[in-house]
Amino acid sequence: MLEFRNISFSFTGRRDTIEVLRELSFGCRENEIVAVIGPSGCGKSTLLSLATGLRKPTAGQVLIDGRPVDGADPRLGMLFQQSTLLPWRSVVENVELGLEIRGERKGPRRQRAIALMRQYGLAGFERKYPHALSGGMQKRAALLQTLAIEPKVLLLDEPFAALDAQTRVVIQNDVVKICRAGKRSMVIVTHDISEALSMADRVVVLSRRPATVKEIYDVPFSREAESVADAPAMPGFADYYKRIWNALDISIGGMNAAA
Amino acid sequence: MKNIVKQRLLVNCGRLLVLVVILGGTELGIRYGVLSRLFFSSPSEIFVAFEAQWAKGSFLPDLGITVFETLLGLAAGSLAGMAVGLLLPQLRLVSHVIEPFLMVLNGIPVIVIAPLFILWLGLGLASKVGISIYIVFFAMFIPVYTSSLRLDRTLVDALRVMGATRAQIFWKVVVPSSMPSVYTGLKIGSGLALIGAVIGEFVASRAGLGHMILYASGTLDTPSLYLGIIAIAIFAALLSLTVDALGPLLVPYRFSDEK
Ligand SMILES: Nc1ncnc2c1ncn2[C@@H]1O[C@H](COP(=O)(O)OP(=O)(O)OP(=O)(O)O)[C@@H](O)[C@H]1O
Ligand SMILES: [Mg+2]
Repeated sequence: MLEFRNISFSFTGRRDTIEVLRELSFGCRENEIVAVIGPSGCGKSTLLSLATGLRKPTAGQVLIDGRPVDGADPRLGMLFQQSTLLPWRSVVENVELGLEIRGERKGPRRQRAIALMRQYGLAGFERKYPHALSGGMQKRAALLQTLAIEPKVLLLDEPFAALDAQTRVVIQNDVVKICRAGKRSMVIVTHDISEALSMADRVVVLSRRPATVKEIYDVPFSREAESVADAPAMPGFADYYKRIWNALDISIGGMNAAA
Repeated sequence: MKNIVKQRLLVNCGRLLVLVVILGGTELGIRYGVLSRLFFSSPSEIFVAFEAQWAKGSFLPDLGITVFETLLGLAAGSLAGMAVGLLLPQLRLVSHVIEPFLMVLNGIPVIVIAPLFILWLGLGLASKVGISIYIVFFAMFIPVYTSSLRLDRTLVDALRVMGATRAQIFWKVVVPSSMPSVYTGLKIGSGLALIGAVIGEFVASRAGLGHMILYASGTLDTPSLYLGIIAIAIFAALLSLTVDALGPLLVPYRFSDEK
């Protein structure tokens, strides 16, 4: 469904060029969740921006359904790391924004947005402004905005980093269900090894900048666990955790030495 | 609850007291020769001056002219400042070319440029409206321009990923996110619009409150001078209240939780 094929990317500044991604390849099939994990600043957000068409790779191709990405693709939805709810729109107007941009008529699109909000625990908040919602509810509203356009490919950039542990598990569960139910492809960027292991079918570990694919792990927990919360208790989870931790090459000793 | 009511009552009584002291003080001070008639006027003298101006049939026209110049200057200057402030950042090249010119123009004190407007537009209303537009323009242009330059890129990126056109981004993100700055511009502009109109009348005019004040000052008619000042003060206060009341219309999400 979504494929990164031999991607390289550099930022060209005035004085220097920063090489961010180097010959990086991996894919995400239909009905598959891929977690991308890597050191801070290695280029994960940049990688997603290549799939959205906001940036073009310096070399290589991003393919959706075998066709190279060229600008915004209607089959693709993205949930940004930062909040992208428009503060001057009510929550329901934010949720229906994608449909509005596509020129859908007001009646049907409003109905869809309201139905989604009912389904995901935001009923009664339709007319509120985003600032009147809790952080978790805002994230959920942003997610619904992305879902409203029914994307086949979903990109999530550290979507749950700012949430408390309970809300987080609930939304993680929702997201996994949504992905499976719609047979979508989902790429989720995260710093959290547990999150990667409990949500994804495959975990792609990136190296430091310039980022290359260091390891790819096929993991069973997301499909086998009843819910995201149960995954960490499954046999083998700790093992994978350790292996990914080692692959990430986080040198705590080195940090102490530097400090 | 009771305390708040009590406190409010106390504050209002205090305000009334201050007013009574000022009015009574000047009234008595003038009557008993403590205050000079050349420098001060008692409320009763000012009222007599008001009756005289009214009888002459010049008070209402003077007031009306200044109000008209101010409101027209405010409306036209704000619209122009908004339009240029919003559109200029969309045209990178043009904006780079003309930015220094606008900044230099903005630096010229209005009093210095006023005679030029009189020369161009004559002694009548047009020159005053012109001066008013000129300063209001910058009061609106500068905050709107800087806010559109500092537009939140993530919001724009989010809309682009959803497939929004440039026009959709302009109307759905650029314009609404400038509204707080428009509100700021209106607040500053409303004061400046009045200054512009009166300065124009000071430089050269046949009517208006500025003209009345200047004439009173020239003929040592102190009560009429005060009358002019008081009329302008009341108008300025009403204008400022009106502009404040526009806040909930321009930036409703800053004033309420619900749309
Ligand atoms: N617009 C830009 N111009 C130049 N360099 C940039 C730009 N955006 C990002 N970079 C650089 O590219 C590298 C990758 O940035 P990116 O945001 O993709 O990292 P990330 O892996 O998402 O980090 P994090 O996990 O902290 O979100 C960083 O080192 C950053 O300094
Ligand atoms: Mg990032």
